[in-house]
Amino acid sequence: MHKIWLIIKREYLTRVRKRTFIISTLLFPLFYMLLIFGMGYIAKESAQNLKVAVIDSSGYFSSARIERLNSEDKSSVLTLVKDNPAAIIADHKAAGFDGYIVIPPMNWKTGNNSLVLKSNKTYGTAPTTVIAAKLNRAWDEVKNDSLQIDDAKQRILIGSHIGLRAVNIKDEKANVNTAEGIGYACGFLIYFILLIYGSQVMMGVMEEKTNRIAEVIVSSVKPFQMMLGKIIGIGMVALTQFFLWIAFVVIVYNAGKFSGGGGMANQLVGSMQTMFSSVNVPLILFCFGFYFLAGFFFYSSLYGAIGSAVNEDMREAQSLSFPITMLVIISIALMSAAIANPTGQLAVWASIIPFSSPIVMMARIPFGVPNTVPWWQLGLSMALLILGFIFTVWFAGKIYRTGILMYGKKPSYKEMIRWAFRKN
Amino acid sequence: MAILQLYNLKKYFATQKAVDDISLSVEEGQIFGLLGPNGAGKTTLIRMITGIFYPDEGQIIFDGKKFDPVNDVERIGYMPEERGLYKKMKIGEQTLYLAQLKGLSRNDAMTRIKEWFVKFEMESWWNKKVEDLSKGMSQKLQFVITVLHNPRLIILDEPFSGLDPVNSNLIKDEIFRMAKNGCTIIFSTHRMEQVEEICDHIALVNKGHKILDGTVRQIKQDFKENLFSVGTTEMPSLNGDAPFGIVHTNMHSHIVRIKEGRQPNDVLQYMLSNGAAIQSFNEILPSLNDIFIKLVEGTPTARQFQKL
Repeated sequence: MHKIWLIIKREYLTRVRKRTFIISTLLFPLFYMLLIFGMGYIAKESAQNLKVAVIDSSGYFSSARIERLNSEDKSSVLTLVKDNPAAIIADHKAAGFDGYIVIPPMNWKTGNNSLVLKSNKTYGTAPTTVIAAKLNRAWDEVKNDSLQIDDAKQRILIGSHIGLRAVNIKDEKANVNTAEGIGYACGFLIYFILLIYGSQVMMGVMEEKTNRIAEVIVSSVKPFQMMLGKIIGIGMVALTQFFLWIAFVVIVYNAGKFSGGGGMANQLVGSMQTMFSSVNVPLILFCFGFYFLAGFFFYSSLYGAIGSAVNEDMREAQSLSFPITMLVIISIALMSAAIANPTGQLAVWASIIPFSSPIVMMARIPFGVPNTVPWWQLGLSMALLILGFIFTVWFAGKIYRTGILMYGKKPSYKEMIRWAFRKN
Repeated sequence: MAILQLYNLKKYFATQKAVDDISLSVEEGQIFGLLGPNGAGKTTLIRMITGIFYPDEGQIIFDGKKFDPVNDVERIGYMPEERGLYKKMKIGEQTLYLAQLKGLSRNDAMTRIKEWFVKFEMESWWNKKVEDLSKGMSQKLQFVITVLHNPRLIILDEPFSGLDPVNSNLIKDEIFRMAKNGCTIIFSTHRMEQVEEICDHIALVNKGHKILDGTVRQIKQDFKENLFSVGTTEMPSLNGDAPFGIVHTNMHSHIVRIKEGRQPNDVLQYMLSNGAAIQSFNEILPSLNDIFIKLVEGTPTARQFQKL
């Protein structure tokens, strides 16, 4: 036991003291935020604005009406063309337009008028939707004017409607949006941790094998202790990183609360407060810790076994670890389905079966325990995951013991399984 | 007293009977040479002695008791043929870590590392990394790591490969010193001249079997071919009852083989009575190298895969 502790300490300290650990700990939250905000920004910036000619023969689209629409929404510009429409139909590009719409004679009472935006390029749905909205606004005005509906009546028509919201009467604080958000965040975080730290275990084992220090160490400790020490050590590194991030959130939260600073900070604090009040934070944190560690043991031992079996060639490692990486990726796909329908058959089983449970169960828990996830499901899932990782660690240990001293040809899966079930 | 006894050890792999029924006994304080061509099963045998592999069959007795890999490895030092250290880890820290894995307390380990580093003039290495060392330097470090925990049994697999003569001698002297202090050393190699220089006792393995076992002296006697070198200016002509025949003639010396049942004295007597002036007369013993080649010869140079 004492020796395992020494190994854990070495694995932990050599990694935590590295500059890359500090940098990645600081940069990961930044990247994460950049990813979220950045995507919104990019989507906004890359929106396509079109110049569209409108050739009207219905008489409803006056140039004043169209000018007003253009001043309200500046993204895509409509221009009413009266002179020489034939020239535009012949060559709209030469006239400086991206496309044109011919409006046939229409009757405002009969709906379902289907117009066509003609152009010599294919545009996405985003600009088309904007133009359709503009045309419909003009069309609404036409209808309002013809029916003599004044502004007051219009406000009533638009403003008065029925909304519907789902409330869980056993857990009134539960909020679907928050639960979805937390579910996604937890699931993805576990996904990243499994992949990043799992491959760290694999690389660490490969390093020991190619440096040939493995033989020196296994003449002092059992290979199983060596593998377990490495997995636990790297798991502790991941846990440290995770605690640092929590500390980071707490600091930002408190700093924001007490400084009373700008709108952004206030908003952040406010949204965090509603988030914390709508979910069971201690339970989620506990479950996150559990699924994160158990899932890490489950997968990293398999990655460790792969690392012990291959030689220094990265490609060998990649091709052998591909099926394991696939399991993690399938879990993420199952997670999306589970969040869309957290009580469905798929969600329930995927959150109980060990390989996908760390990610899928973590995505379901924010929806509420025990209402969405009954206690028996949570208990069964945890018990099975514990059994699962005991099995994978045992299995990997058997492969590791043979693989770490075996040089030469890359073994096949069949051979590795034979190593695992050989006695001695 | 024997510190290590092996009884009928067997270890079979999927395509190879790596070690097939080997028994050995190593006495305390001995420098024991374990010889054999590449792929003879030396490394597998050593890995069983160091607790890395379990034998399929057979028994290992270490220091009078059944070998217990978990505890006994702390009294064994093993330097594998393929040296290995963490490249990016600082040398001081790394040595300390490996010593602690061998069961030394931090303080003990620290004191001993300092002693050895002074002895081998390695004090300035403490904060360097292994990747900064030359091959010979890291070899020296590896040796220190192997013997740091004062093992009773030291197993060295090709300890001199890559070392210059000065450092070779440094380590050779250490080996002799430790053997004198009661350490037992198993020395695995296929460099015969080193074996003759260092070892008291050798065992030769080939294709998983032990084919020779004994003291260096005894083995040479067993394999001698009754050859003598006679230094004389003129060799008398040999008649039918001469006690020897000439094998080879050099400028001033002749290699002769004594006939069955005759003694070296008979040779001298014959020569003297025939008026030859003898300048020198000595026995030619086979070198271990010759014995090795003779015994291993005829087996394929590379070990073949077997169907089991």
